[in-house]
Amino acid sequence: MFTEDEIKQKVHDGYMVESVEEMTEGYRKSLIVQLTVQADTELISAPAYWRAARHAPSTNTQVSAHAIIQDELAHANIAYRLLEDLGVSKEELVYGRDPHKFKHPYGFDQPLDNWAELVVANGFFDRAGITLLSDVYANTSYGPLKRALVKVDMEETFHLRHGEVWMRRLAKHGGEARAMLQRAVDWMFPMTLEWFGLPDEMKRHSGQLDYKLKGLTNDQLRQVWMKSTVPLCESLGLEAPAHWSEESQSYELDYPFPCHYDAEAKHWDFDGGEIPWEQVFDRWKARGPMNEWYVESVRRSRNEVVGWLENAPAA
Amino acid sequence: MSILEGEVFDVFARKERGDALQHIGYVDAPDIDLARVYAWKTYDELNWFEMCVVPRSAIVPVNRTDGPFAGNALGRPVVGGAR
Repeated sequence: MFTEDEIKQKVHDGYMVESVEEMTEGYRKSLIVQLTVQADTELISAPAYWRAARHAPSTNTQVSAHAIIQDELAHANIAYRLLEDLGVSKEELVYGRDPHKFKHPYGFDQPLDNWAELVVANGFFDRAGITLLSDVYANTSYGPLKRALVKVDMEETFHLRHGEVWMRRLAKHGGEARAMLQRAVDWMFPMTLEWFGLPDEMKRHSGQLDYKLKGLTNDQLRQVWMKSTVPLCESLGLEAPAHWSEESQSYELDYPFPCHYDAEAKHWDFDGGEIPWEQVFDRWKARGPMNEWYVESVRRSRNEVVGWLENAPAA
Repeated sequence: MSILEGEVFDVFARKERGDALQHIGYVDAPDIDLARVYAWKTYDELNWFEMCVVPRSAIVPVNRTDGPFAGNALGRPVVGGAR
């Protein structure tokens, strides 16, 4: 059995952890938090995309939109199974928790109200997913998670392509198609940036870095995301509130970060100036407008069917 | 686990003729028939040449005393050495 200091040193020397028996309490706890965020995000993206898929404009787009939903649910299942192997109950996580206790990002508690918003979600949110998970894949010290991510990365790349191809199509068309796309970008670009969390200068110690459950910091991950997303927006003639700075050799934001968000109006209050992160945490904690609806929609018929099965006479 | 999910099945597959059969994942299912369907639908990222499911309870470790299969050794002695 390792001490906390020993396991931190070993994983940075390349040791792969393969079983729960090898973990220290600190390692196990950090891994559980990481996997719960991952599993909840995959799970809740499904009802968010499912509600939006009603806006798919053709049978072909219905197929691709639903194929993405199928992938997300499979990814959620895989992450919850990894949690079960750490001694956490999937049953309790999915069906027993208050919807407010789910750990998916605030961005996935928002309604996606038209086809443009769904494709921008694929282009932006799934890009954030790939950014976070490729870093985990490249750096994690937990063998079972690294193996599980091979499939996940392959499929998230398809979601991203779907988003980008459709963004390109709407942008090229101009007129109302482009206007709807720009409106989606306006609220979803800052939403995704906020998702990466506290800036490094304010971030207290990260267990996930100490245990090598990931490799990059929040600010580094935000830069990776912008490195793909800002040029994408520029190439499509879309306005995005960030630019490359030669001086700092990084992407810089053109608005106060963080700032107030009006979920009802889907509007970021850039004019209201920078707000303290405590206010952002309060907004996240209160969850977004669709939180309960999304959680309930993955639970809806469970108890009814379990009731049929449990009351059935044994065959 | 609930009546809807039953037990864990491990999923093995090979992509092409000549490839090794590899562990690619797992599904929770109430029986082997649903496990076969769930595995095929969950792990559809590649067009597999062969896929199989095995109840996790049937996987017996030979040289290790930890990990997800450890409980299946049922007190059998360790053969060989673990690294």
